[in-house]
Amino acid sequence: MTTLRGYWRNFRGEKEVEVVETAVSPLPSTPITQISNLDLDIAPNDLLLAYVQQNPGVLDVDQLKLDSPALAAIRDAGIRLIVPLVSQGELIGLINLGSRLSEQEYSSDDYKLLADLATQAAPALRVAQLVKQQQQEAAERERIEQELKVARLIQQTLLPQDLPALNGWGVSAYYQPARAVGGDFYDFIYFPDGRIGFVVADVTDKGVPAALVMATTRTLLRAAAERLEAPGAVLARTNDVLVQEIPPKMFVTCFYAVLNPATGHLRYANAGHDVPYRYTADGVVELRATGMPLGLMPGMGYDEKEVTLAPGEYVLLYSDGLVEAHNPQREMFGFPRLQELMATHANGDTLKDFLLDQLAAFTGPGWEQEDDVTLVTLQLGERLETGDWRLAEISSLQSPISISPIEFEIPSAPGNERLAMQRVAEVVARLLPAARLEKLKTAVAEATMNAMEHGNKYDPDKPTRLKVLVEETSIRVTITDEGGGPPLKTATHPDLEAKLAGDQSPRGWGLFLIQNMVDELNVRQDAQHHTIELVMFLNES
Amino acid sequence: MNNPLTANVRSRKDQIYVIDVQGDLTAQSEDTLMAAYNTASQSGAKAIIVNFEGLDYMNSSGIGLLVTLLIRVQRQKQRLLAFGLTDHYQQIFALTRLNEAIGIFESEDAAVTAVAAPA
Repeated sequence: MTTLRGYWRNFRGEKEVEVVETAVSPLPSTPITQISNLDLDIAPNDLLLAYVQQNPGVLDVDQLKLDSPALAAIRDAGIRLIVPLVSQGELIGLINLGSRLSEQEYSSDDYKLLADLATQAAPALRVAQLVKQQQQEAAERERIEQELKVARLIQQTLLPQDLPALNGWGVSAYYQPARAVGGDFYDFIYFPDGRIGFVVADVTDKGVPAALVMATTRTLLRAAAERLEAPGAVLARTNDVLVQEIPPKMFVTCFYAVLNPATGHLRYANAGHDVPYRYTADGVVELRATGMPLGLMPGMGYDEKEVTLAPGEYVLLYSDGLVEAHNPQREMFGFPRLQELMATHANGDTLKDFLLDQLAAFTGPGWEQEDDVTLVTLQLGERLETGDWRLAEISSLQSPISISPIEFEIPSAPGNERLAMQRVAEVVARLLPAARLEKLKTAVAEATMNAMEHGNKYDPDKPTRLKVLVEETSIRVTITDEGGGPPLKTATHPDLEAKLAGDQSPRGWGLFLIQNMVDELNVRQDAQHHTIELVMFLNES
Repeated sequence: MNNPLTANVRSRKDQIYVIDVQGDLTAQSEDTLMAAYNTASQSGAKAIIVNFEGLDYMNSSGIGLLVTLLIRVQRQKQRLLAFGLTDHYQQIFALTRLNEAIGIFESEDAAVTAVAAPA
């Protein structure tokens, strides 16, 4: 067997002759030197291959007339006879023999012996090959499993090691990937003023690709949360960066909420994730906010909503691995079931275990987990304990210095000015009084419309770029198109009487509106771009 | 994100019609708004009151559309009134002086009463 093993990878004439000579001649005492080593790689289209498959048995090399590189190599190596080893129609090896040591010709008995040997050696060799192949595959599997184990360990370090310890609040979390590594994740982000960010997200797909995207998303989200306060703005920023990094056809659903534990105030935004539930005395309600999943399209805006949790209430964040689990009858666990179960369970601290028991009862024994399951619960106790908090109330106006320039693009398409308006509003919402915020929003919408329509001609390949810069005394929003060329028209003063009399077009209010909405309006242009800058002073005086 | 305009037409007493608009008043709203006006006008309206309580967003094209509506109303010797505007849009009406041609009121009843009173 050990000798035969040499046959199937490289057909070394020396060894093969040794075997056969032992069989043929009773005197194999002298070493075989007259044939050289032969590493034979037979091309799939080599004529020899077809020939041996059609002509089994012992072949005399000198008798073969084939235009075959392999045969030439065999001949050059001094080989006289070849004995193809064929198993299930496939050539798996050759026994090669040089000249007899006795220098006599091979006899018909020799031929018969070699033919018998081939009949027995071929299946034995095949078995040996299969065993070796399986050993290699097993080693490969072991290596992959080992790597997955490491990947899982790395992923675990990306999940929170501890639950937030909050006076008056109970937090629990559960994470079970369907495979060694998963695409779900959850995160807690701690802010210096005592607020806490809660994240639950789900990457499309499972396994290693999802885990890699998960790691990226987590990092981007944390970076955005450090710079921006509003959950909607954090998701928008994460989306804009992730779009450039994520493989095509993958995306991430994500729910992000910021809790002020001192007041129970929860601000949240949702990028297409399963809508979390809130348990209240009046029943279970959804924490609904609309937004596209992360990583699909740049320039998305995210609805932002807020609630204030009352004592005794809790919130459940979860991923679809729970609601999309199937029982043996192929029924789905489903949202209504989850909502009903929550309604019967007043204690958020024990909800996680309760739901996992219910899930196990639903799927039955032997369930092969279909998708990652993640649960995070947030329970407010019987009363808020405000005493220990560094800040009982979060200042509604944060220092503007903490906001660095935000830049984004929106596709030039009718109606998209609302995206621009919403994004800008998310960034500066807390910096302006409501009435002035409305004015800035209108100005941004009008300027963006002009840029998309007149500058970029609603060309989808020409995005409209916006930049929001918050300075110590002002907010500057610039809107840039790719129109270039002729200067922007200055507003002809629209006159209502002239319009009503038909002397002016009913339209043409845009620039007039912009001028009257903002404190300062600057227009710049170069050969490729028009840029309009809108300025709002922070201390109106 | 975008919220296409819907416009519902209701009749009040004395040939007064109310158009309840919902959503975004933009260039895309022209057909909807004009269809609503035609319905009211063909029913013999002498006054049209636009209810802006459901207005989400209005841009300069929307203002242009109101000017067009105003031209048609004046040609038909009808009156155009409005209520339910937020402070922000009331300000824009003042800026464009639309408020001088369209009577702005706090409520539907106030607008109806104003139509009945001698102009």
